[in-house]
Parts: sequence; C-alpha cells; structure tokens
Amino acid sequence: MTVATGVRGEDRQNAIAGWLFMTPTLLIFSVFIIIPIIAAVYFSMTNWNGISPPAEANFIGLDNYKAILTEPGIRQTDFFTALKNTTYFALGVVPMQTILSLLLAVVVNQSLLRFKSFFRTTYYFPSITSSVAISLMFLFFYQKSGLVNQVLGTLTFGAWEPIAWMADPRGLIHIVLSWFGLTIQTAPDFLTQTDLFGVTLWSWISGPSVALTGIMIMNTWTTIGTMMIIFLAALQDIPNFVYEASQIDGASPWTQFRRITLPMLRPTMFFVVTLGLIGTYQVFDQIYVMSSGGPAKTTLTIAYLVYRNGFNNSQMGLGAAIAIVLFIIIFALTMIQRRITGSEADN
Amino acid sequence: MNKRLLTLWVLLLVGVLLAACGGTAAEPTAAPETTEVDTAVQEPAATEPAAEAPVAEAPAADVVQLQLMGWASSDAENIRLQEMIDNFNAANSDVQANLLLVPDYDTKLQTSLAGGAPPDVFYIDSFKLPDFVAANAIAPLGDKLENVDDFYPNLREAFTLDGTFYCPPKDFSTLALEYNKDMFDAAGLEYPTADWTWDDLRAAAEALTDSDNGVYGMVLSADMARWIAFLYQADGAVTNADFTAMTLDSPAAQEAMDFYVGLVQDGYAAQPADLDSGWPGEAFGKQQAAMSMEGNWIISYLNDQFPDVNFGVTELPAGPGGDATMSFTVCYGVPANAAHMDASVRLVNFLTGPDGMKAWTDLGLAMPTRASLRDGWLEKYPDLEPFLNGADYAYPWQFRPGFQDVLDTVNSGLQEAFTGLATTEQVLQNAQEVGTEVLNR
Repeated sequence: MTVATGVRGEDRQNAIAGWLFMTPTLLIFSVFIIIPIIAAVYFSMTNWNGISPPAEANFIGLDNYKAILTEPGIRQTDFFTALKNTTYFALGVVPMQTILSLLLAVVVNQSLLRFKSFFRTTYYFPSITSSVAISLMFLFFYQKSGLVNQVLGTLTFGAWEPIAWMADPRGLIHIVLSWFGLTIQTAPDFLTQTDLFGVTLWSWISGPSVALTGIMIMNTWTTIGTMMIIFLAALQDIPNFVYEASQIDGASPWTQFRRITLPMLRPTMFFVVTLGLIGTYQVFDQIYVMSSGGPAKTTLTIAYLVYRNGFNNSQMGLGAAIAIVLFIIIFALTMIQRRITGSEADN
Repeated sequence: MNKRLLTLWVLLLVGVLLAACGGTAAEPTAAPETTEVDTAVQEPAATEPAAEAPVAEAPAADVVQLQLMGWASSDAENIRLQEMIDNFNAANSDVQANLLLVPDYDTKLQTSLAGGAPPDVFYIDSFKLPDFVAANAIAPLGDKLENVDDFYPNLREAFTLDGTFYCPPKDFSTLALEYNKDMFDAAGLEYPTADWTWDDLRAAAEALTDSDNGVYGMVLSADMARWIAFLYQADGAVTNADFTAMTLDSPAAQEAMDFYVGLVQDGYAAQPADLDSGWPGEAFGKQQAAMSMEGNWIISYLNDQFPDVNFGVTELPAGPGGDATMSFTVCYGVPANAAHMDASVRLVNFLTGPDGMKAWTDLGLAMPTRASLRDGWLEKYPDLEPFLNGADYAYPWQFRPGFQDVLDTVNSGLQEAFTGLATTEQVLQNAQEVGTEVLNR
C-alpha cells in the first residue's frame, strides 16, 4: 500500500476518499478482530473463570502458560495429549487431502473426460454440506454394524472383525506394535516410565486412535473438494503452449506432470498445505459432534481443549492461554513450511 | 502471506468467540413459548379494561418481568412447566414470568452470567454448583425457602456447599437396576430383587451373556457417574468428608473398580457403542443387554421407543459396604446480583413448594424432592418405587470446584481399562493424583 503523502489537493482528496471507503472495513476489523485479539491475550494472563464478570478476574501473569507448558499436572498432561492428537491428525489429514485433491483436480481437468461438471459438483459437494450433518451421518457409518464395517467385511470376505470405531481408543501404531507382541505390559520401562511433558513416551508413539482415524478420514473427505477447486484453478492457469512444447520434445504424460505441472503448482501447493495445517490444527466442530474428546481423550484436540476449559471447567483464562499457544504453533508451522516450500512460492 | 494467515486465524478465533457470545439474543424456543406470549399480553389488558392502548403495548411499568431459563426436556415436561408458569402469572398480577428453554444451555448461561445480564431464575445441575459458587455467581436461598426440611437430606446436600444451602431441587432421579423379564425367563433365572449382592449381579450377568449372538448380561458405560455407585456400595468415597484429601487409593475403591471393569473385561457386560447404541438405555431397549443401571429417565424412553420390551426395575444390588445409589438433581438458582430478588424467590417457591412440586412431578417423569409427597406419588406410580426408595440411601453428585478434571480422568481411565490399555490400579492412581491437584488449587 502506498501511503498518500502528496501535497497536491487532488492527492489529498484521493487519500481522504480512500480512507472513507475503508472506514467500514476498518471499524469492523478493529471491533471484531483487533479488540478480541487484545482481549484474548489479556485474559490468557488472568484467572478468569468465564462465569463472573470479566472485570473481576485477577491478573496472574504467565501462570496459565506455566500450567500448560512447564508445571507437571493434569493441565500440562491434557495440553500435550491434545497437542499429540492434533499433530497426528494433521500428519494424517494434510498429506492425504493434498494428494487426493490434486489427483481429483488433474482428473477433472482432463479435456477428454466427459460429464466434467457432474464430477466437479460431486467432488465439491461435501465441502458445502453442513459439517454437523456430515458428522452425524458418519457416526452411523462408524457404528459396529454400520456401513464401514460391512464394506470392510465384504471386501475381506468376512475376515474383518467389526469394531465400534468411535469408541475405540487404541492407537494405530500401538495396534501394529501389538502384532509384534509389544503392548503396555511388555513394553520396556524406558517407554512406559519416561515422562515427557506429562505424557509417557509410550503414549507419545501411540499414533492416532481408531476413533481419531475415523474423524481424520471424514475430515479429509469433506475438505478435498475445496482443495480440488483451488488446484483446478491453478491447473487451468498453466498455459497450454508449455505442454505443447514439451510434447514436441517427446515428454511422456508422467514427465509432463512431474516436470511441468508440479513445479507450476508450487505456490498453490503452499497455499493448500497452509490452509490444511490451519484447518487441522484447529479442528473443533467434528470433534464436538462426534466424540467430545473421547474415547479416553484420544480425540481431544487443542481447539476442543480450549472450549472445554472455557465452558466446562470454568477456566476461561487457561483456555485463552491455550488458544494463544495454538496460534503460535500454527504460525511457527507455517513459517517452517514456507522455508521448505521455498520463498519463491510466496507470491 | 503473514498478514493473510494472521487474519484467517483470527477470523476463525473471533468466529468461535462470537458464536459463544452471540447467544444472549433471544432464540425461538419450544412451541409453548407462543401461547405464553399471548397470555402475558392479555393479562395486563384484562386488569386494565379502561386502557385504550393496543394489545401489543408493553405491560404496565410496575409489573416485574422475570425470565426463567432452562433446557428443553420432553414435550410433556416443557408443556407442563409452561402451564405452571401460566398459573404463577395468573396468581401474581405484579410479576410476569417468561419461560426460555434454550439449546446449548451451559454455554448460554455462562455467557449471560459473565455478561452481567443473567436470567432471573435458571437451572443448575448439582455437579456444576461448586463452580458457580466459587465464582460468586449465585445467591444462597436457603433461608428464603418454604419448609426446607421437607427436601430429602441428600438432595439438600447436593445444593449445599460449606454449610450454605443455595437452591431448592426442582426434581431428581436415582439409579436403579432395570432388567429384561423375557431374557431372565428364557435363561431360567429369578428376577433381581432389592436383596441382591454383587455376586448375584455378576452370576446373572454371566448366565445371561450370549456373546456369539451379541447379547450381554449387562450394559455399562465408561462413566464415573455409574461406577461411583459401586464405589459407595463398597463403602468407599471419592474424598474425605471435608474435601481435604482424595480417597480413591483405598482398598474399597480398588474393589469397586475391579468389579466394574471386571464385568466388561470378562465379557459379561458391554459398552453401549459395542451394542450399536448411543447410551445404555438404547442397548437395553434393543434387548442386546439384559440389565442396565440407569435412572428413571429410562422409563419414559423405553415406553416411547421400545414399547414391546418387557422389563422390570429393582434397586441396585448391595456391595460389601451395603446399599448405595446416586441421585442426580437440578435446582432453580437465582443470580447473586438478582435484579428482582423477591419476585424471583416467589417464583422459585411457587415451583418447588408442596403444591408446585406436586403439580410438576405428577407427570411421573421426575420424582418429587419433598418427602411429604412420597406416598401420594407412589400411589400414582407404584412401578417407580425402586427409584424413589433410592432417595433414602443415595449420594449427591456434587464435589468441589474444578472436579470436571477428575470426572474426565476417571471416564477416560475407565475407557482404557475396559479396552485393556490401562490397569485398574493405574486408573485409580491417576484419578487420585488429579483429584489431589484439583483440591489443592
């Protein structure tokens, strides 16, 4: 933005008009964004319980941050459990949704494909459907006698043992380890006894629980539509002559995809992965509807922990502190990811 | 990109905040609301026939407007409550009460309290009471209430903190044992009685289990609110009497935990989710479990959803420490800085006084909290006697501020113990540590 510093009357007039046009946005921005941010930072340093008027809250400095980050106790354990769950959630969902949506975008971008708009609509549909409605539907799918178990049973000719997905706290990595005889009973002491931020090493390596995996799959399904649209727009931006030129040079479709499509999609890739990281690190509504953090806190995510502290545990100040830490985590992750994707992507 | 990221994140954060705060605006409520508005408007018009003002005009200035906020229950209960409010309004020309039944009640109540504009009277669950008291959010009504000694002692205790009785219980439920008569007949077993012990329960659960066909003796959930009945039956307790120390490391607690988890681990009981159900009542109704231990709310649910199930109810079995059950109750609270204290107390007394309590509980859905109404109620609903009998030996569902952390820890631990991911010793040790931390806060 160029700041209007001109002395000529016309410039000044333009500047005034500019500010006038921006006033509504600026007002809304400060009332609904700037002030709440400041308030959230302030409340994160108070012991506000969320019930009494906020003015009665006492300033307690960084105590809330210490409680979740450094002091052993249930608050620290809960926070790092949530961080663990959320990280597994992001590690699963972000790559899945990026790869699948790119794949779908490439497919519906094929000029040879018929009924293109039908497929585009179908793939995009989950993204515009109410997340709560989808969550309720998946709750039925994931029942013990539900669709998912039945399909898996049919595919494996009955070898699949039906499980109650949303009530299963076993971690995926733990399940795999148990095939090799490694369970909490047989695991070496350094795994079960070493405590890292209130969570044992054994718990850290649990992997996402079966219940969380169920939500991850659903989350991927609901988000790939939006990501597909973004990729599709970028794909259609790639000029055709590049492909034609490569064709003359004898490039195969696979080489074209690897050497032309992927590099040209790099800025979009950055955007999609960033959106994915933000979305997964603050997943809330699907947890709220489907599992409320259970079974055994294995679907407790950071955003849900914020809500739970604010409204179930009467610790609004602590909840605000967790929200601020969540912001810092997302911000840091985005910075790291930007480094990796390369700075030329940022435009 | 930074700015955009920041904005995006903040937008979402603010969205959540707004969603939480925006709740103060009046929301459309259950159907009774509309009839209510009519009467509220007609009332002043009738008392002032000379007034030429249109009907839609606000009521006279000297009429106190009260708002009663709660959550919606069954239609029958919502309509009955509205009728009672109408009766109150008809009998009190200077007070007009409005009933507001809201979804997402806890969030809404909390934000309206924090916002300084709480409803004049509102529901408080006994488990939540300590948090509200700790926040100085509610007024102690104990000495303003009618005939306090008539309330069952354990229900008074449920709303008493450090010797102060805060609010009168509007009704209550207790846990009892529901059993499927047909399944007991088929297995050739005697029906459960109030004299049953843990051993009887376990033996019957074992005999009734047919896991190949997905049928279990009992349905149990990973829920402290159910396990705790066994804890008290084993003569254990969550804390000592003056709430200064946790007592979940006791042998009694271990015994209760081993018994409860053992039923599931040995395959004689299953969790609702393993029976394709959202809660134990559903599994019981689907006849996939022969016994459940729910409160009286299950009765209307079963009659409604599973009218063909032939079931009976008896009191919970006795443990090594004798009889015990849990009572779950909600009271009518008044905020500490009540704008219309006298009128609010009048409404509360109207609703929980002997007459109001009788009118409310005559529906047979929730039980009267006044001992004097016991016989009359049992005459109408003899089948529910096991639930009401529980009032004599029930424990209140109320602890200390911040006990949600303990509840979450125990629930999560039970879930792990059911699945074999943790031992019962670890679960209790965890709960003991978390509870100690909460008590020392």
